[in-house]
Amino acid sequence: MTSDSTSTDLSEVRLEQSIGRLLTAGSYAAIALLAIGFGLMLIDGIDPLSGAPTFDLARVPADLVALRPTGFIAAGLVVVVATPASRVAASLVGYSRRGERRMAFVAAMILLVILPSVVAATGLEG
Amino acid sequence: MVDGLLLLGGGVAAGVFGSLLGLGGGILIVPLLTLGFGLPLIKAVGVSLVCVIMTSGAAAGVYLERRVANLRLGMTLELFTAIGALVGGLVAFLIPERVLEIVFAILLGYTALTMALRRERAATPPALAVSDDTPASGRPSEDSPAEPMTGFVASLSGPDYRIHRFRWGIVGSLGAGLSSALLGIGGGLIKVPTMHVIMGVPLRVATATSNLMIGITASASAIIYLIRGGIDAYAAAPTAIGVFIGASVGSRVAHRIDLRILRGLFVVILLYTAWQMLQRAFG
Repeated sequence: MTSDSTSTDLSEVRLEQSIGRLLTAGSYAAIALLAIGFGLMLIDGIDPLSGAPTFDLARVPADLVALRPTGFIAAGLVVVVATPASRVAASLVGYSRRGERRMAFVAAMILLVILPSVVAATGLEG
Repeated sequence: MVDGLLLLGGGVAAGVFGSLLGLGGGILIVPLLTLGFGLPLIKAVGVSLVCVIMTSGAAAGVYLERRVANLRLGMTLELFTAIGALVGGLVAFLIPERVLEIVFAILLGYTALTMALRRERAATPPALAVSDDTPASGRPSEDSPAEPMTGFVASLSGPDYRIHRFRWGIVGSLGAGLSSALLGIGGGLIKVPTMHVIMGVPLRVATATSNLMIGITASASAIIYLIRGGIDAYAAAPTAIGVFIGASVGSRVAHRIDLRILRGLFVVILLYTAWQMLQRAFG
């Protein structure tokens, strides 16, 4: 094995481990927010099967400040949904830096393909 | 309080199982919430999608750091999974639901049969001993000569195994994305057998890579559910926390579990889901 291939392997290992850490961090951040929200639910005596208010992104900051369970849970749900796309975006950056055009192209295409879902969801909301 | 703890416990069980099998746990969560807690199906599917992404993220993070998941293969296949999911979302309302359920049940039955027969044949552990010309089933690859392992496709192979039948992997991934959008599943049921049985990827790598891919497939749908109010925040919180705990435990004990047991569990869950689908179709 040459020193070039060794450094390439190490670079790839670092990229995979960084993406792994990103996924782990996203999961832990989401679970922390959900756990706080669930804890506040228990303190407030809210039945989990009583039906939650409909998601409203604009209300999340105010609910967080007011320590309402829905604020923390909604923020956690946003982190949950955004984490996979963040992983692909991180892969795009990582592979671009490594000069791997094909893998960077694949990552860019994935983001391009899931974009219509966001557009469709926003359109449906309106 | 009691309902919250029960949701938490159910989530833990679904998370462990989903992580071990690369299923995302959605198959267990929807019946748990609808049959066990009386949630409407649409809300159960919304919570299930959140849990599927949680399972995927928690398990895939560990698998990537341990270099069990194949990032290159996962990303390449999930491009086609995402395309399949997008197309599925567009045609979802054009196909009768009963037809979909029957087709899905047949697909599950066939996959279960394939996995069961493969278990009996595999006297030696084939997972990490796959040569260039021999797929995981131990039979010579019929289309390997027409699909030389060069260039980009070759770069998707792992250190101890080679990828076969990449074109069939694309077809399987498109089908996984399509069925995910049409049937509301994570798609691991199709991704794992496609990678393992058809492409010759070791089962452990296939389940880890499937966990990685499931997040993107499910998040596309989950965004729509979240914005449209299809995710019940109160039910989602304890269930997702449970799934997270279960998935973390599952990914850490996966390497200690006998592959034959893992495959056997997979066959059982495939047959169970097929039976549920047939009951719905003819019920």
